[in-house]
Amino acid sequence: MGQHVGTALARIVADELEADWQSVRLNYVDTHPKWGLMVTGGSWSVWQSFEPLSQAGAAGRIALIEEGARLLGVAPAACTARNSRVQAGKRSISYAEIVQRGDLTRSLTADELKRIPLKKPTERRLIGKETLAIDVPSKTDGSARYGIDARVEGMVHARPLLPPTRYGAKVVSIDDSAAKSVKGYLKSIALDDPSGTVPGWVMVYADSFTAANSAAEKMQVTWAAGDTANVSEQDLLDHGAKLIDDPAVGSLVWPDEGVDEAFAKAKSTLERTYSTASVLHFQLEPLNALAFEKDGIWEIHTGNQWQSLILPVLAKALGVGQDKIIMRSYLLGGGFGRRLNGDYAVPAALAAKAIGKPVKMLCTRADDVRFDSIRSPSIQRLRLAFGEGGSVIAMEHHAAAGWPTQIMVPDFMPKGANGVPYDPFAIAGADHWYSVGAHRVRALSNDLANRTFRPGWLRSVGPGWTNWALECFMDEAAHSVDADPLAFRLALLDGKGRNAGSAPNAVGGATRQAKVLKRAAEKTNWGGTLPADSGLGIATTFGQERGMPTWLACVARVKVDRASGVVKLEKLTIVVDAGTIVHPDGALAQMEGAALWGVSMTLHEGTQIEKGEVKDTNLDTYTPLRMGDVPEMEIEFLPSTEAAVGLGEPATTVVGPAIGNAIFAAVGARLRHLPIRPADVLQLLKKTS
Amino acid sequence: MTRFELNGRDVSVEVADDTPLLWVIRDDLGLTGTKFGCGIGLCGACTLHIDGRAIRSCITPLGAVANARVTTIEGLDPKGQHPLQKAWIATQAPQCGYCQSGQIMQAATLLKDFPDPSDQDIDAVMNGSLCRCMAYVRIRQAIKLAAAELRSGTVHEGTAHE
Amino acid sequence: MIKRIYIGLAILVVLGAALFFALVWRPTIAPIAPGSVAGFPAELVAKGEALAGAGYCATCHTVKGGQPYAGGYGMPTPFGVIYSTNITPDPDSGIGRWSEAAFMRAMHEGVSRDGSHLYPAFPYDYFTKVADEDVRALYAFLMTREPVSAPAQRNTLPFPFNIRVLQAGWKLLFMDQGRYRPVAGKSEAWNRGAYLAEGLSHCAACHTPRNVLGAEKAADDSYAGAMIEGWFAPALTAANTTPLPWTQDELFTYLRSGATALHGVAAGKMSDVVHDLGRLPDADIQAISVYFADLNGSSALKTGSDEALAKALATSALGSRLEPDAGAVLYWAACGSCHYNSATTPLSVRPELALNSALTAATPDTFIHIVMAGIGLEEGIPNVLMPAFSQALNDGEIAKIADYLRRTRTELPAWEQLEARVAAIRRESAGSADLSP
Repeated sequence: MGQHVGTALARIVADELEADWQSVRLNYVDTHPKWGLMVTGGSWSVWQSFEPLSQAGAAGRIALIEEGARLLGVAPAACTARNSRVQAGKRSISYAEIVQRGDLTRSLTADELKRIPLKKPTERRLIGKETLAIDVPSKTDGSARYGIDARVEGMVHARPLLPPTRYGAKVVSIDDSAAKSVKGYLKSIALDDPSGTVPGWVMVYADSFTAANSAAEKMQVTWAAGDTANVSEQDLLDHGAKLIDDPAVGSLVWPDEGVDEAFAKAKSTLERTYSTASVLHFQLEPLNALAFEKDGIWEIHTGNQWQSLILPVLAKALGVGQDKIIMRSYLLGGGFGRRLNGDYAVPAALAAKAIGKPVKMLCTRADDVRFDSIRSPSIQRLRLAFGEGGSVIAMEHHAAAGWPTQIMVPDFMPKGANGVPYDPFAIAGADHWYSVGAHRVRALSNDLANRTFRPGWLRSVGPGWTNWALECFMDEAAHSVDADPLAFRLALLDGKGRNAGSAPNAVGGATRQAKVLKRAAEKTNWGGTLPADSGLGIATTFGQERGMPTWLACVARVKVDRASGVVKLEKLTIVVDAGTIVHPDGALAQMEGAALWGVSMTLHEGTQIEKGEVKDTNLDTYTPLRMGDVPEMEIEFLPSTEAAVGLGEPATTVVGPAIGNAIFAAVGARLRHLPIRPADVLQLLKKTS
Repeated sequence: MTRFELNGRDVSVEVADDTPLLWVIRDDLGLTGTKFGCGIGLCGACTLHIDGRAIRSCITPLGAVANARVTTIEGLDPKGQHPLQKAWIATQAPQCGYCQSGQIMQAATLLKDFPDPSDQDIDAVMNGSLCRCMAYVRIRQAIKLAAAELRSGTVHEGTAHE
Repeated sequence: MIKRIYIGLAILVVLGAALFFALVWRPTIAPIAPGSVAGFPAELVAKGEALAGAGYCATCHTVKGGQPYAGGYGMPTPFGVIYSTNITPDPDSGIGRWSEAAFMRAMHEGVSRDGSHLYPAFPYDYFTKVADEDVRALYAFLMTREPVSAPAQRNTLPFPFNIRVLQAGWKLLFMDQGRYRPVAGKSEAWNRGAYLAEGLSHCAACHTPRNVLGAEKAADDSYAGAMIEGWFAPALTAANTTPLPWTQDELFTYLRSGATALHGVAAGKMSDVVHDLGRLPDADIQAISVYFADLNGSSALKTGSDEALAKALATSALGSRLEPDAGAVLYWAACGSCHYNSATTPLSVRPELALNSALTAATPDTFIHIVMAGIGLEEGIPNVLMPAFSQALNDGEIAKIADYLRRTRTELPAWEQLEARVAAIRRESAGSADLSP
């Protein structure tokens, strides 16, 4: 994706390979079946690649040592490798020379690879040590090449005209008489899309982007809209609530026995509903793709996160085999999950096919936003049953939202206990590490959302909303039994039973979560006194998914202005245990960026669906966090040699509830909807006073 | 035909005067370091220098720069070694990097006007430059680092076009 | 008896007609042979060139991108569009057949060579004050320009404003003919400044409010500020609303360079004014500054007021951190990068809006114009460009920014009906773009 994870991955290989880091370069590959699944997402890169890349590096080292030993005329056992050289006593030979002179053909089976002993953490030379990221210099002098910079001889430019609904719209008429006055305008074509990716799209062609853009503004296209043309944000939330009300629907993700019995005998129960609004990716580089056919091969030039997902769709759209399509890799001007969904490559390819020339399609910012795979609005209902003395004996968590995985890659969906498939990314987080007794987690696909827009994976996906609900709810639960929110959580993070954790990814389980939580509290003088209308809020999550826990705790300090309802976020303190850290500075950068994404989605962003479309289409009304909004931040990594887990997204999940809880601590206003707007705070303050 | 100076060399283009400068530079003159983000002058990705000051090129028509000096990220320093560029690397500011040309060009004007910028100066001037990766903490560090280098009196040879 | 009455009436009619004729009729002045005037001394031509700058002749007598002095520039007036004429020495479409006397009469009396009355869009009510020798220099300058064939555009004045003879009545009512007379007791510089300002540079033409017939209002409204072609020309008296006084130094810097750190830049028509005044020597600019500094009373004050400056600057960073105000959010995304000033001194390249008359004026028009049209490299402060936001921001957004700044950067009453005003100016701007032939 270009956010330096390439540097981390290269460090993993180079460490076992004993390569000279100064000679390491990164090459981005184009699509080819030999690469297997091509996807950059889910904060998986380091976690997934650590073992295979370590093995690959070690295998390479072994091969180089063996061949180097032969060339030196010594036994392999007498050799060591360092800094791209094989050494035997005082004699040595460089890797380069071995490659030039020797025969490096060496095959290892998967089993053999697994048996290669990997370095102990203390033996590592690169992993965990500071370094400058390889691809940064090109991003300071304008030489980095993004998809939008792609060009090819003879290409024409195109800007799409989007129909009023994501699905089901049909072009009724196209009138380009006014557009013809634009110099450079070529023609307009309604795309015929066998893949159903972009129904109702019209492509406006010209010899420059500016001409295509001007011509597009003058086009008169009428559409028959699909049936979601009047859907509103509230309709979506209402529909989600209705689904939750119906116990017969949804997928039972955690089917513990005894939940209903526990609630029936509970001393008291707590039930709360939380919601989150639509969020835009708003990656800064508007969607674009360059497509052309040459000698029977289609080339797609674009920045993309998940080539393996869109290749079959492109094949269907173009009516050719996947082997006839190559996707060329470019840096992408922000992914955040938007470019996991490569749907934007399809109209470019269709446009090129329709006109018989290379086509560079570029969306304007508003086009990009209208075509965004937004983070679905969500609604969740949480219930807790208390036994004697405020002890927690059972819990329920029901979450309804649009499901990206159901729409785009249903094969990725596991089945719940009731046989109903569910989107694991849309419910992750609800399967938490608190010991709450019998626990029921139910995931509900908001079919109205799925039909109105194409739900997207947006930085952290479900954990961005499940943790908002869960961690605010834990706070409310603590207060309902007069417990300290920190102590209440720590008591539930006992690391017992299924929360004990397991190797390789979750060694220590909930006890590690308890540890980051305690450390965050300690750093922020939890329980101390603060000025009036200021408050500390605490939250803890396990990042992306239970199978790859990144243990996080966050304490937010806010000051609330009672007159305006403005929440000033003064400081974020975050403690994280992400196991082995490969590239410490890169890891910190990801934590900083993800934490601020969390702030932005909590206090600055958020939009609404209005008449079937996103309401805010540019920065005049969509207002992500800017420089002046950045709070003081303190981020601490707990040292660890456990398995390396993800860092790209986890921090987004913990910030929102910490802020919400801090507002409650400061002024007693309990916010249950994201984003938090001053007007909402003000309204609550009026109610409580 | 509109003539102007781009990164120290004379250029002439046969493009309508109302064409946004951004696209003239990217598509007609082939310098792609200046980026398109919002098209309405609110994100700063397209920031370049006109007569030495930061301007959003997506809303500046070609006609407005007739005979003017235009500097893009490619021309800020002949070797890419402007103190800001060095500081951007030292602090590892870029993530996806897409906004950074604009950030650096805006920061250059910031330092020209405020050689020893306070946090408030940086916030106020840089607020117009959106970083979607939210690398703000490092951008702020980098600006301070570059400011210190510039103030230290180290003669910088690279501002040929400034 | 009745007959005598008829005769009496007839005599009265004849006398009345004769009187009217005497008042309004002007003879044709004989044409000269084209090219017959020549051999003007170089210094006279150079003096004329500077004076032509002082009178902004080129501004009104040149269309955008057209030949200098060839006319055709459309001036929207409340009565219709009046087009300037060709004042190059072209014999057929210009003033190539005009004698110096004809030129002098036009300047001093507003009468064309053929005897027809000129519309006061040509500001002869000011030029009448210009000394004969200066008119001669102007004549020398214009007659040595390259002749350009550019026939006059047809004015769009409706009846009765298209009857030129009525201009004579206008002159009778509103015009004081006669050269400038120095005011005793004032310095030489003051009198020089007054001579330029009241005469050739016709400052009051924009800065003094006009009545329904396009004439200056009562004397006590002199330089009280006025709307001109959709812009607000601020008061040049003590009634000026900027937080810091227009001292002689400030006036001089502004008129000489197009901008001052304490007041902002010259935009719109005023940009042309500064541009053209550039041909006058520093002493003349100082003289004008002396005159207006006296007029506005700032000569009694010190340069600026530290307190007012500090107060204005204290607002410069307002809203740059989280603010639930759409105007603030837009301002900091679109404008703050260039307009913010730090707490000590404003920079002239960063026009400080809290000090700017665009924001302190009674109407938002100038502010809106500038946001929508921007300021070119050759306008205002040299080599500093402000992009046009008319395509980037909609009416409501520009209104929000205006309202936000007015509310937070001044203590003046809010501007009313802002969004409608932005919409109106957008329509007018689209309309005036069509004026160019």
